[in-house]
Amino acid sequence: MLADNAIKKFINLRTLGHFIDDRRWLFVAFIIGAALYIAPTPEGLSREGQTVLVISVVAVILFVTEPIPLPSVAFMIVIAQITLMGLESSEVARSLMSDSVLFIMGSLMLAVAIVKQKLDKRIAYLIVRATGTGIYAICVGISFVCGVLASIIGEHTVAAMMLPVAVTLVTLTSNNPKEVKGLAAVLLFSISYGCAIGGIGTPSGGARNAIMIGYWKDFFYDPTNPETRQFLVDYVTWIKYAYPIFLAQLPLVTFILFAAFKPERKTLRRAVAKLRKQIELQGPMKGSDWASVAIFMATLVGWVTMSESVGLGTIALMGAVFFLAVGLVPWNDMNSGVNWGVVWLYAATISLGVEMKASGAAEWIATSFLGLLGPMNMDHGLPLLAAYTGLTTVVTNTMSAGAAVAVLGPIALRTAEIANENPLHLGFITAISSSFAYFTAAAHPAFTIVYASGYLKASDFFKVGWRMAIMSAAVLLLAAKFYWPLLGLS
Amino acid sequence: MLENEFDSDLQDDLGARFQILVCIDGSDESYSGLRYAVRMGSDNSADLTLLYVRPVDQGLRSGGLQMRVARENMLKWGVQLPGTKALKKGRDMLVEMGFMADDWKEQVVHTDVSGDPLGDNTTVYRNDEGASISLKLLVSPRVDRGILDECEVGSYDITIISMSETAEAKEHAGYISPATTFTVATQHRGTVLVARELEEDHGHFMCVDFTDKAVQAAVKDAQIAARCHCPVHLYSVASSEEERETAMDVVAGAKAAIEAEGLSIAGESIGLGDPVECIVGTGRKYSLIVLADTSIKGLRRFFTTSVAYEVLQKAANSVMIVR
Repeated sequence: MLADNAIKKFINLRTLGHFIDDRRWLFVAFIIGAALYIAPTPEGLSREGQTVLVISVVAVILFVTEPIPLPSVAFMIVIAQITLMGLESSEVARSLMSDSVLFIMGSLMLAVAIVKQKLDKRIAYLIVRATGTGIYAICVGISFVCGVLASIIGEHTVAAMMLPVAVTLVTLTSNNPKEVKGLAAVLLFSISYGCAIGGIGTPSGGARNAIMIGYWKDFFYDPTNPETRQFLVDYVTWIKYAYPIFLAQLPLVTFILFAAFKPERKTLRRAVAKLRKQIELQGPMKGSDWASVAIFMATLVGWVTMSESVGLGTIALMGAVFFLAVGLVPWNDMNSGVNWGVVWLYAATISLGVEMKASGAAEWIATSFLGLLGPMNMDHGLPLLAAYTGLTTVVTNTMSAGAAVAVLGPIALRTAEIANENPLHLGFITAISSSFAYFTAAAHPAFTIVYASGYLKASDFFKVGWRMAIMSAAVLLLAAKFYWPLLGLS
Repeated sequence: MLENEFDSDLQDDLGARFQILVCIDGSDESYSGLRYAVRMGSDNSADLTLLYVRPVDQGLRSGGLQMRVARENMLKWGVQLPGTKALKKGRDMLVEMGFMADDWKEQVVHTDVSGDPLGDNTTVYRNDEGASISLKLLVSPRVDRGILDECEVGSYDITIISMSETAEAKEHAGYISPATTFTVATQHRGTVLVARELEEDHGHFMCVDFTDKAVQAAVKDAQIAARCHCPVHLYSVASSEEERETAMDVVAGAKAAIEAEGLSIAGESIGLGDPVECIVGTGRKYSLIVLADTSIKGLRRFFTTSVAYEVLQKAANSVMIVR
């Protein structure tokens, strides 16, 4: 009996130890938050602004370390806005829902619906038919198709669809992963980096793009002032600015991958032949397949033609509703395939971003940041864009791209105003460079998905990532310097 | 099959048979641990559980799309996920070694896990004599936590976990890091074998000191060694010449306790000097260095140290901590 009690006591102590160990970052975040909250308000910053910054710092620590479920971080932001900042609860609740949030919700539902349609085998068939069996050509084909698709429907969708294609090609070549390490790396990274560079191409390519479009509209658009119409960035306008940057990076991706890894085979003739057989077993396209393609195309047409009038989010939701209404995907699949906590998280972060602007916190950070850049003569023009590219790249590698834009967006836009730069300029720079999260396996959704295959080492991401980051930043800054002025953005 | 029925079936067999838990991460080191487990369970006298723990997916990292969607798509293509692949490789090894036959009955149990829709999955193979082999793919917030939880509920006689820092080992998705191994070795309340460059046929190097716990551990180790027909060498360290006599008495006492159980030892010796250095150096040529658990627990371990844990950190070969 005594022994039993001792064991129970030991287990309870261990449970308590686990509890504390699991939530150590929660305690760290609260201690840092409390210290910053009671600290004297810095000069030039309002008390309200200080509170917003405290909430942001705590939220960022919790985003990155995840000691508690993500939705609870979102709700903590909401509670803090009401209790610490004295905002009306209805006002905060209203700020949670915007077109950007509807877009995130709709595009995630679309992602689940599209992955479930088994169109991946047909896409794989198209790729190998077009590229032949040479490994270099296949990698170019995969990057191109992944990039183009990811620019429209989001990288996670494409990575989830295309991962089995690459893994199947690897396993059909050799059952021993050690014999095809280089081959697996170039094929899988073609998916992940194809997706990563493609996501910048259109507004629907990622939450970060939709969030920036929302900020431009909320912060600068005034219906009574025709000059501010430029801040209503529609689908086609975004494509004009961003798509060429994606296309310019495309041929460089395969080049960089082959510089970092040496595939063990030059041709995949046998694997491709086997893959073709598997794909042909599926038979011709069925009615449901055509219906999926039709809904996808209709959604794309809707984004291109109607996003300015009804919003990106509304069209994404319409696409998801069509999939449900036609019966192509059951609600249960859609419901379980979407991490709704992340939607809440984006909603709360965007709401916090709006408060960051309203409370003057964004202005204070922007002024401080420009003060740091001033002595280096980097507080204007291309050097300022380069500084924001670097800052965003660092931030986005520690959290999701969407959260990075939600937090940095208001600061970047305010910086542009103070430095007499066009907010569109810094906005595009921030949104596009938020996709340069290339250094770790957890930095991009597409990376996380591809890493789950078990064929890549965590260190492989950095091996390619630093090369990719330099290349992407160079292409972006060259576009900002030479291409965007041609579109009238100076 | 209902989980309760499954558990009660399994519980009926527990206790009567030797239970071995082998943590698998896909590395060569973890499979050498499995080979050693097979030796311990020769003649199907032990039940084996192969465990692979996958951390729960973090939602933000996959951009709001559940990783489950991607994993299900992989399964639809017939692509095996890393955990399944590693466990199936273990099962194939057992068949190759003749420990398991293809005609064993198979039962599959799925348990929903909060936060991970794919959940825990267990496949149990049984033969008509009641021997069982379980392949467990569990999800847990952390790998060490998952292993410790399984140790807690499984009542295993011995847990085998690998410790490897080779590039090959690190390549595996389910890689068990040295920190994880050390956490399991120190926090588990049962016997743990830390497999590191585990070579068979070199015998157990059983280290004893003057405590009763060490003598009990020596007896338990002799029993385990007898299962795999491994010779046991008894060893004790005297920090100075004056203590040599005491060390010899300690070895003699342990030898007597082992022989009282009807078992024998292959040799005995005494070292002179620092216990950790002596044990690590002399024990290098054996398959395993075996030590009794330390009594130092909790916060005290931050401030003091013990021979067992220092040996665990410094040894180049495998170490077994007997509890």
